[in-house]
Amino acid sequence: MSRTTNTRWNRRQFLKTTAAGFAAVPLVVPSSVFGQDGSVAPSERISLGFIGVGMMGQGHERGFLGYEEAQVTAVCDVDRWRRENGKTVAEQTYAARRPGGNYRGCRTYNDLRELLARDDIDAVVIATGDNWHGAATVLAAEAGKDIYTEKPISKTIREARAMVEASRRYGRVAQIGLQQRSTAEFIKACDLVQAGRLGKVKIVYVTHAGTSADVNLPVEPVPDGLDWDLWLGPAPWRPFNGRFHRYGKPPHVVPWHFCRDFGGGNLTSNTVHAFDVVQWGLGMDESGPFEVVPPQTGDYPSLTYKYPDDVLLQVVAGKLDPQRHFIPKGWNANTGLQNFGALFVGEEGWIHVGRQGFLDGFPKGILASATEPESWHPVKNHHQNWLAAIKTREQPACDVAIGCRSTIVSHLGCIAHWTGRALKWDPVKEEFIGDAEANQLRRRPMRGPWRI
Amino acid sequence: MSAKMNLIACLIAALLLGCAVPTMADEAVDKAFDALKTYDWGTDRNVLKPLDDAVAASHGDAAARAALAKQLAAVLGTDATQAAKDYACRKLSLIASAAEVPAIAPLLTDDKLSHMARYALERMPCDEAVAAMRDALPTVKGRVKVGVINSLAVRRDAASTGALVALLKDSDAQVAGAAASALGDVGSSEAAKALSGFVAAAPDSLKLVAADAYLTCAERLVAAGKKLEALAIYKALNKPEQPKHVQNAAKRGMLAAMSAKK
Repeated sequence: MSRTTNTRWNRRQFLKTTAAGFAAVPLVVPSSVFGQDGSVAPSERISLGFIGVGMMGQGHERGFLGYEEAQVTAVCDVDRWRRENGKTVAEQTYAARRPGGNYRGCRTYNDLRELLARDDIDAVVIATGDNWHGAATVLAAEAGKDIYTEKPISKTIREARAMVEASRRYGRVAQIGLQQRSTAEFIKACDLVQAGRLGKVKIVYVTHAGTSADVNLPVEPVPDGLDWDLWLGPAPWRPFNGRFHRYGKPPHVVPWHFCRDFGGGNLTSNTVHAFDVVQWGLGMDESGPFEVVPPQTGDYPSLTYKYPDDVLLQVVAGKLDPQRHFIPKGWNANTGLQNFGALFVGEEGWIHVGRQGFLDGFPKGILASATEPESWHPVKNHHQNWLAAIKTREQPACDVAIGCRSTIVSHLGCIAHWTGRALKWDPVKEEFIGDAEANQLRRRPMRGPWRI
Repeated sequence: MSAKMNLIACLIAALLLGCAVPTMADEAVDKAFDALKTYDWGTDRNVLKPLDDAVAASHGDAAARAALAKQLAAVLGTDATQAAKDYACRKLSLIASAAEVPAIAPLLTDDKLSHMARYALERMPCDEAVAAMRDALPTVKGRVKVGVINSLAVRRDAASTGALVALLKDSDAQVAGAAASALGDVGSSEAAKALSGFVAAAPDSLKLVAADAYLTCAERLVAAGKKLEALAIYKALNKPEQPKHVQNAAKRGMLAAMSAKK
């Protein structure tokens, strides 16, 4: 398991160094006071640390700043502008709520190990690049923090499993940022598919095809204020280039994902949301496909996964092509597949689900229900679901084990692309069958001192 | 005679004579190997694509794979750039065999290339790859040493136990911590004994690392059917001096060990 050496800070040391800043702030207490370790539960706030505050991390921070039960007390980023911005956002938000209009209580860190060493931080939100998700999550679990990790949960299959193992070992509440698990339309769609409304499912379509590549960009000077070595973390060293990371405010989401050292392209960045819906709808949260076939090989024009009971999953570019794909009855071939959603096709019709409440089906009435269970109308969003789970110690909506399985679907697709051949997969042993090279791609040796 | 007829005639002649005919693909690979000699950060990555394709196409062709591995390994001994050797190691991580270990091993002591040497050796299934990392352990320091220890941990190299136990007393806390974690991964009775002492004596900065290593060791012992040894570890960690989450991990471990089938 985890493990790099860190300088451990205890609560007394921390309070000593930040006494001025904390003198007039509300009490922030560890989760132990909620009674989860046998002590009395005064139901105070959950102290949150943020690791990675780029575009996604900033969005999470703004979200969590809105909840009374949480308090943002630390921000970590290897980009000085971003971490200072994260601190400013937190402190200004809290200051605006106070009569005096003043608040100082959010500390910044360049190195995540220093943040994790603080005893007074209960939980962390990890929104670094994919490259860091595995090591950071394992370190956080080892430090006894509850965890919210962005998707995809890892850069490799082995990392994903290690994250589950570490979270389980330490009993952490580990939520993955596959937030559609907390969204009404997806809950309803997957419930209906699982309940057999479509009859036997034959094929599922999702969009956002393509993986990452090995790239070699020109050398550029490292911007002042960026710790490039820590940005790289477990990845092989390479010189800085601004396409991987623009210092300061990020221009867009996951700019680095085109590079294989840092991400898996669309399959891990975007399609993982759709894969999560597919796994859920097919009832495969504890398993997965048994074969993956890269595009243009064998009988399949698109990246294709085979699930038990002759169910196929295909990743297509935007729309179904009548020349290349099976077009179900009632489907207009000009219809684009929903981003991050899925089209489930069964013997009795189809259900198409996407974000912003999109839910469609054929034949008419296939979505109708005389009564709708309460679970179809969640009152808590994904953030709230996690905060509630921290208090109750129940599993969150997208527990790390679920996120692990959904992310593995992404990784299987990447490895099929990279090897260029169909691969048989054993979802129990989590190994490829009869393909040593593919198995070697399940993990990537990490740069020291990082490990999982 | 047309060019096409000339080509056909040459092919027939070559086949009759039993000669290997250079193909366009072979020529492209040769050209890519030439390009690798001057390849550097920022060079157009496409110049190496024929090599990527050749490595992918060699799946299931042991002879082709061995020939490619030999050529890639040869790059490591030249004055090629870090970028070129980085590339060679990435490919060798998938296709190299014991024959390439002597070419890769010297890079383990190179601060700039040690990780890429491990990138290859850690993935290579042969025992020689592990032995090379084990042999390099006494000669490397600092972060490079931590990296080598981490790779030996991934390979769960029991033969490194003695060296790892000695490193628990290393003055570099990162090295000592990595050695403890590696012993946890080895997960033998001998490793457990060493970790027992380390957990008791570890400095504050390494207490969590020590506890985690000990927990890992216990899980390995359970998997090996040594439940009693594992239970002793859990009992030792379920003490007030350990953080609550470690105590709870020990309690969960006890339950898991007691219900394990072996």
